[in-house]
Amino acid sequence: MPPAVATGLAIDAREVTKTFRSGWLRRRETAALRGVSLAVERGAIFGLLGPNGAGKTTLLSILATLLVPDGGVARVLGLDVARDANALRRRLNMASGRPSFLWSLRVDEIIAFYGRLYGLSGRRLRRRVDALIEQYELGSHRRAQYSELSTGLKQRVALAKALVNDPELLFLDEPTLGLDPDVSVRVRRHIADLRREQGMTIVLTTHYMREADELCDEIGFIKGGRILAHGTPDALKRQIGLGDVVALRLEPRPAWLGEMSGVLRCTEADGWIECTVDDAEKRVPELLRALLAEGVEIRNLQVREPELEEVFVELAR
Amino acid sequence: MNWRAELLAAWAVVVRNALMGMRNVFFFFELLFWPIVGVLSIGLMTRFLGLTAEQASFVLVGTLALSVINVCQLEVAYAMLLDVWSKSVKHQFMAPIGVRHLTTGAWLVGMVRGFVIFVLLSALGAWAFDFHVLAPGVGPAAVFLFGCFLTAWIVGVAVCALITLFGSRAEAFAWASVNLVLVLAGIYYPVSVLPGPVAVVAEAIPLTYFLDAYRAHFGFPSAFPAPITTGLLLSAVYAVLAHWAFRAAVERARQTGLLLKMSE
Repeated sequence: MPPAVATGLAIDAREVTKTFRSGWLRRRETAALRGVSLAVERGAIFGLLGPNGAGKTTLLSILATLLVPDGGVARVLGLDVARDANALRRRLNMASGRPSFLWSLRVDEIIAFYGRLYGLSGRRLRRRVDALIEQYELGSHRRAQYSELSTGLKQRVALAKALVNDPELLFLDEPTLGLDPDVSVRVRRHIADLRREQGMTIVLTTHYMREADELCDEIGFIKGGRILAHGTPDALKRQIGLGDVVALRLEPRPAWLGEMSGVLRCTEADGWIECTVDDAEKRVPELLRALLAEGVEIRNLQVREPELEEVFVELAR
Repeated sequence: MNWRAELLAAWAVVVRNALMGMRNVFFFFELLFWPIVGVLSIGLMTRFLGLTAEQASFVLVGTLALSVINVCQLEVAYAMLLDVWSKSVKHQFMAPIGVRHLTTGAWLVGMVRGFVIFVLLSALGAWAFDFHVLAPGVGPAAVFLFGCFLTAWIVGVAVCALITLFGSRAEAFAWASVNLVLVLAGIYYPVSVLPGPVAVVAEAIPLTYFLDAYRAHFGFPSAFPAPITTGLLLSAVYAVLAHWAFRAAVERARQTGLLLKMSE
């Protein structure tokens, strides 16, 4: 009996497993997912992070009905991904990094082709194609064949195609992979707009921690086919226990900083001493008091949270 | 069943295949060059061998069938091949469509292309070799053409299933399989000349009956009772089986991950 559907959840996956088998004579098995459970609220942007081969794309593909799970239950928008796949497909869409479409079709023809597959026709289809071409600034390229487009333009076509059916849930598999920084910024802006303006639920995988930090309400960190950590970016940073970073420019440099209570470690580079403390709010006043008492001149001081990248490195270890 | 959605999904494939075909540099060769070369070379050979008008018609019917089936079958196989080549398989199968939309849409385009070839080659045959496809009447010619289209559909869908099952390694089937069918169905000869066990296989091929029925109008008595009915019934059975196989192959590709691999 499948578990009850939690209302308000766009994705409710429990103990999902997937093993790939290959080879005719010598069978090889690769466990891609080993019991992944995941809950994503409707209207949220959820980031799936993890090293290469962690199972990100496999999980995304199962949720997008492109793969059938071996075990567990995955419900998307209240429907079972295996049993109700056809009904579900109308309400989903996906765009991938390094997109690929039929090389000879023009930009408007590609969007229109997928539009028809999703049931659009006539004036409604034309209006939708025009709107997406305008939204993704593809107007001057609408009659260009796909093979003639730059990487950035191809990515914009992929995003336009992914929105052709106005999906309730959008999967983005490394949407800014290989893009120039300025194009990446625009794509990220588009993604944020989709949620803000249309309340769309978005699940994305990315290797760019800044992207995840900037866009995602919640992040799941997957490695070896298991979700190792799950929460808001801030909660993840706290959960991993990386602490806060206090950067100081001091004269002279006291040797005892690293021995103070709550200071986890200190490193020195380019005239800055970076101390990682368990809790900046508690330790900064203590540090300041101790430094002033010793007559140390404080020339500059910065406090920052650890980068998500540091969380990634810690979890991927 | 929502008929509008059904027709629209098939129409999407029609438009896509038609556009891709028109921009394909090989389109010219597929549509004109090879079929014309085929009819000319076989027609000239019949002259060289001094065949009677009936015998020449017998052979040229086979050439016509080969050209029409080849082009129509390839178009049906393009339903999968285009996406495999462009690595966009996953987008197609993420959409709410079934294999029937792919195969029907591609078949419609294939039939248009096949009909164009049929008309061209018929005109060429009449002009160069005094071979008149409409001599038996419009009805028998239409049934024969439809039989060719059905055969092409079945072979094309089977090729799609194989490609979905084995990936691009199975591409060779797209070009090879139809020739095997044609050899077995007696493209240039009556199936009675085939060795015993092979003749049994030939009798299981719908095209055998459509060729037999059409050639009967050119002075070669039919070897089978009710060949058209048999051909249509066999075609219906194989069409269902081929679609079942294609659908099962897609489901298997969703299990094995091949659907994703073909998109990378």
